[in-house]
Amino acid sequence: MRPEFFVVLHKELKEAMRDRRALVVLLLFVVMYPVMLWSILHNLIDKAGKTERESVELVVIGGAQVPTLVTRLTQRNVTVNQRGDMSDSAITDLLKERKQVAVVKVTDQFTDNYNEMRPAKIELWYDSAAEQQNKLNRIEAILRGYNESIAGARLLAHGVSPATLAPIQIEQFDTATSSSRSAGFAGALLGMFFATAFFFCINAAMDSTAGERERRSLELLMAQPVRPFDLLAGKWMAAALVSVLGLTLELLVAHFILKWMPLEELGMSWRLSLPSMLMVIAVSIPLCLFAAAFEIALAMNAKSFKEAQTMMSFAILLPMLPVIVVPMLDLNTATWMYALPVLANKTLLLEVAKGQAIGLLPFVLTAGVPLLGAALAIGFATWRIKSERYVLGV
Amino acid sequence: MILVDEVRKRFGQVQALAGVNFTLADGQTTALLGPNGAGKTTLLRLLVGLLQRDHGAITIDGVDPAQEPLKARRSIGFLTDQVGLYERLSTREHLAYFGQLHGMDAAAIKRRTDDVVGMLAMEDIIDRRAKEFSQGQRLKVALARALLHKPRHLLLDEPTRGLDVMSTRALRRALDTLRQDGCCILLATHVMQEVTHLCDDVIVIAKGKTVAQGSPQQLCERTGIASLEDAFVSLVGTEEGIAI
Repeated sequence: MRPEFFVVLHKELKEAMRDRRALVVLLLFVVMYPVMLWSILHNLIDKAGKTERESVELVVIGGAQVPTLVTRLTQRNVTVNQRGDMSDSAITDLLKERKQVAVVKVTDQFTDNYNEMRPAKIELWYDSAAEQQNKLNRIEAILRGYNESIAGARLLAHGVSPATLAPIQIEQFDTATSSSRSAGFAGALLGMFFATAFFFCINAAMDSTAGERERRSLELLMAQPVRPFDLLAGKWMAAALVSVLGLTLELLVAHFILKWMPLEELGMSWRLSLPSMLMVIAVSIPLCLFAAAFEIALAMNAKSFKEAQTMMSFAILLPMLPVIVVPMLDLNTATWMYALPVLANKTLLLEVAKGQAIGLLPFVLTAGVPLLGAALAIGFATWRIKSERYVLGV
Repeated sequence: MILVDEVRKRFGQVQALAGVNFTLADGQTTALLGPNGAGKTTLLRLLVGLLQRDHGAITIDGVDPAQEPLKARRSIGFLTDQVGLYERLSTREHLAYFGQLHGMDAAAIKRRTDDVVGMLAMEDIIDRRAKEFSQGQRLKVALARALLHKPRHLLLDEPTRGLDVMSTRALRRALDTLRQDGCCILLATHVMQEVTHLCDDVIVIAKGKTVAQGSPQQLCERTGIASLEDAFVSLVGTEEGIAI
């Protein structure tokens, strides 16, 4: 004889797998986030490729006065378009087309001022809304370099070493390895990947509790020779299994997308091996158990499917809060993060992806806290279903 | 054999049952008559151990449903006034599910499924999913579900509502067979014709109390009224001031 909870589990799963609408939603979630990830990365890679190939387009007005600057720009892969004088509005219109990064306008008095060693004005016109900050930075750096080289030459003529101008030399070292940089970026999206554990089981959890009340079949089910705990455990496991299935598929799809994309072009990599990924998935199974238990404990209090849906739309915000709020705080990885479901799974995935040894505690917390939550939720649900008020309400 | 002795149940301010007494013998069909709100549903829920009584005693073949609900339920076939079905399961799957919940093995489920399908004349819907079943078809599935594990006791709440003439007759024949097998049947109903056709014994409850128990004949004699329906109205009305 099969254990009773297994009978319930089998029947609920059979029903869930026949619910075509729920299956479509499940499939949608399985592919939606990975596709989002793919399109964002694809865009980034596209852009990264372009900046290397394309030179920066720049308009210079009055360039004849500054031949050295023009040479400097050309040497640094800037295409200089020399123009005659333009009005302010003509410059604004030109920048609106967004083909030119900026307009450098050498004023008429430049040569006079320059020769008399007064500050000689060069105007830099740009459209900050055009989001070409990187290219603009390059132009600014070239202008700064030009400025410093003139200053150096003048000091030298007065017998002063140009080194006086640069008492401090700043050299930059970026210590982010390619994999830790990829970790930082992917983190934002990956948090959402685990929140889906709460989406996948919603239909099964609602259908087997609130739906059962709406169909008016719960009273009879409760009058069968089955312990209330077995009833709930069967329904709980069925919903959790749907979640495990969805989450596993979704993470595997994401994993293969990350493996297959040319992330090197972004200076990133996804070095996580398939066994490590499977381990991360295995540690996420308790999250699915918690999600299902939490939703069943809630949905069983709703008298109809609709009422349950309203409850759920608020309830699923809860697990998403930590993955949205905590990244905003810009905190370093800390042990307490592993005690917050969803955030814990995301943090664990990222730390494992960085390829650093993190010890056992994060794994224990990531799996243990949701298990405890699931036990509490099912304990509450069992107490509730036994109560007289609940029986009277079915 | 079901014994109910001085059972009381109160919900907050409402005294749902205020002293119910009766004995249901094996091999007998007993009608449970009472106006709406008399406490029939509460009584049935107490019998299957879904609710706990405040006072009195209930035994079902010696088992107290409040103490050992699972044991009591194994010998009970229950048809509630709610016949919810699972839309995505076929009739056969419904029966298998409830058979398994009663601990039956696959062979027993198959054998009994064939039995009840024949008994209730439902060959046409056995492999169809419950989604577009009519009210009568739904009730048949619910009845089959209650009969599947060959219960010693049957608690049926209005089992003929929504059934056509042919199905009603099939049900009556089925209940007759069960009674002859020694089954103890309690039938909550509002159809007087059913009581006269089917029942050996009648219990009348009103306002949570047993007003009378006896054969239809005895009730008529006691009230001095020839028709059972009028006798019922007189029993309920004269003592409780309730009209139906």
